[in-house]
Amino acid sequence: MTSADQVNRLLALVPYLQSHPDAELGATAAVFGVSAEQLLDDLNVLWYCGLPGGMPGDLIEIDMETVAESGRIRLTNAEYLNRPVRFTPDEAMSLVVALRAVRELAGGHLAEGIESALAKLERAAGAGTPTAQVAVAGGSGEIREQLAEAAAAGELVELDYTDAGLAPSRPRVAPVKLITRDGFGYLQAWALDRAAWRTYRLDRIGGVARTGEPAGEVGDPPEFGPGWLEQRPDAAEVTLRLKPEASWITEYYPIRAVRREADALEVDLLVADPAWLRSLLLRLGRDVLAVLPAEAAAGAREAAAEALAAYGTE
Amino acid sequence: MCAFQSSRSGNVTGVSPRKSERIMNLAICLLMARRFIEKSQIRQVVEGYHDLSDSAFERTFERDKDELRAMGVPVETGSNNPLFPDEVGYRIRRKDFELPAIEFSPAETAALGLAATVWESATQAEQAVTALAKLRASGLDPDPARLDALAPSIGAREPAFASIWEATVDRAPIRFGYKGEQRRVEPWAMTYRRGAWYLLCRDRDKAEPRMFKVARVDAAAERIGKPGSYTVPDIDLDAAWSSLAPGQPDAEVVLAIRPGRAAELRRRGRPVTPEQEVPAGYDALSVSYARAGDLVGEVCAHGADVVVLAPPDVRRAVLTELRATARGAS
Repeated sequence: MTSADQVNRLLALVPYLQSHPDAELGATAAVFGVSAEQLLDDLNVLWYCGLPGGMPGDLIEIDMETVAESGRIRLTNAEYLNRPVRFTPDEAMSLVVALRAVRELAGGHLAEGIESALAKLERAAGAGTPTAQVAVAGGSGEIREQLAEAAAAGELVELDYTDAGLAPSRPRVAPVKLITRDGFGYLQAWALDRAAWRTYRLDRIGGVARTGEPAGEVGDPPEFGPGWLEQRPDAAEVTLRLKPEASWITEYYPIRAVRREADALEVDLLVADPAWLRSLLLRLGRDVLAVLPAEAAAGAREAAAEALAAYGTE
Repeated sequence: MCAFQSSRSGNVTGVSPRKSERIMNLAICLLMARRFIEKSQIRQVVEGYHDLSDSAFERTFERDKDELRAMGVPVETGSNNPLFPDEVGYRIRRKDFELPAIEFSPAETAALGLAATVWESATQAEQAVTALAKLRASGLDPDPARLDALAPSIGAREPAFASIWEATVDRAPIRFGYKGEQRRVEPWAMTYRRGAWYLLCRDRDKAEPRMFKVARVDAAAERIGKPGSYTVPDIDLDAAWSSLAPGQPDAEVVLAIRPGRAAELRRRGRPVTPEQEVPAGYDALSVSYARAGDLVGEVCAHGADVVVLAPPDVRRAVLTELRATARGAS
């Protein structure tokens, strides 16, 4: 953090504390995304700030004893700073991009509300705000709206779903969350027929049938973070030794570790679904130098032989 | 003095409290000024300047002023006296300084609250949180519980991301290595598609707009000019994406696909009646593609569910890969 970061925050903190009298120290720190210790440092800086001249009556007043005793902040004598300072260009761009990401997952009426919020935000940020955009492959807005509504209402739905390369299915699920990961939107839902948490790619959901039946208590889905595979007890580690041409896979798949050498790279992957590994190995073809454990490649070997048979005798 | 003041010299982040105080007092002084204030006056009234030597004051004041401007505080330079325009002074106009008052509806407010949780990159998350704090200081009270079912996120794992984002924010020209070539560019905008960041910019050497995938930029970009040293034209990012995005489909392949399989390829294709014989139990589709290597990999990934009928070179390439996989690697 720099002094500029601190001053930028102070120029928002002073109006915030005036419009939220007796604000609680910890809650205020959370609003500004800093620790309580940092917020105390901020208050100690403000204690020495005020109108030019530096006479006692010119300084901003903070009752530091009350802060120490009850954790409540009372700031006065700063009426001239009752509006926050404008966004910095980085703040404006970061918040606008984030709001666009929300819009990509929202559907229907909510998406319209976000459109209008974006317009207001861009007006507040002023002309010349740098541009950044977000696009998520999230299927249709109508389906997202249906799913979000059903999730909010705790209602069971039937999905019209086509998995990657698999025949269509009609899972009955309790929808819980719409999330994005690596540019795709997903539904996290409790799948009744499997009695397990499942993620469904939104652009592969062809339709949603509302059932009107309550989903009951399903709890929270597992964290779908960068390490979400780690939580699957059936996931196994597989090491691929690849030609350097295949280094693109580190951009596209969750990789546990990469070791680069002059003429090869080794990647460690967590594999929960043998069909996924089979597809990956088929896709990599000649770029695969070795697979460890070797039996992990058996499925791909058989599938390749079957495919060659489909081409006839060439 | 209470106990908190005694810890003044040792704060948690190592930021000099004196410097923050001085810049803060300078901002208040310039904001309260009805006229341009001359440097000599500023030196007298702003705490932290009077003890400095002439040259130290000049340096410090210039730096402080630049810091305020860098954070978006509009420090204006001008003269009160049209007859003596050399008597330069400074001020901050309140209407340029304050965040305009904006009314947000409850739905808009909830969306803004959720937006502050979207970034996975800590730096951008901080920026979004501070921006939201400014809206809260102006009366916004978001209740993200309204949007419980939505949890969007944006990653920024590309090693060159921070340097390119900052250059885009500052409008600073940069240089970087890309697929073995040095590029000198003026960043215009960034876009996040299919889980990857792209930079739209003007390529100085080619003298035309280009789109670069940030993940393929070799290392952190290096600045080769001052912030704000070029202008950004009005951009339609969607149009730019469709004309400049790396790899637009410009070739066709005829595939035989088993019914209900390879949904992605089916979606991109259209049914055709090819010259070649279609194997029993397959449908024929024509699919457009951008890069032969990507298409071959995609077809191979589907194993026996997808067979290439034409053109012969794509068919041969797929067979070569499948034979390698069938032999086994080790």
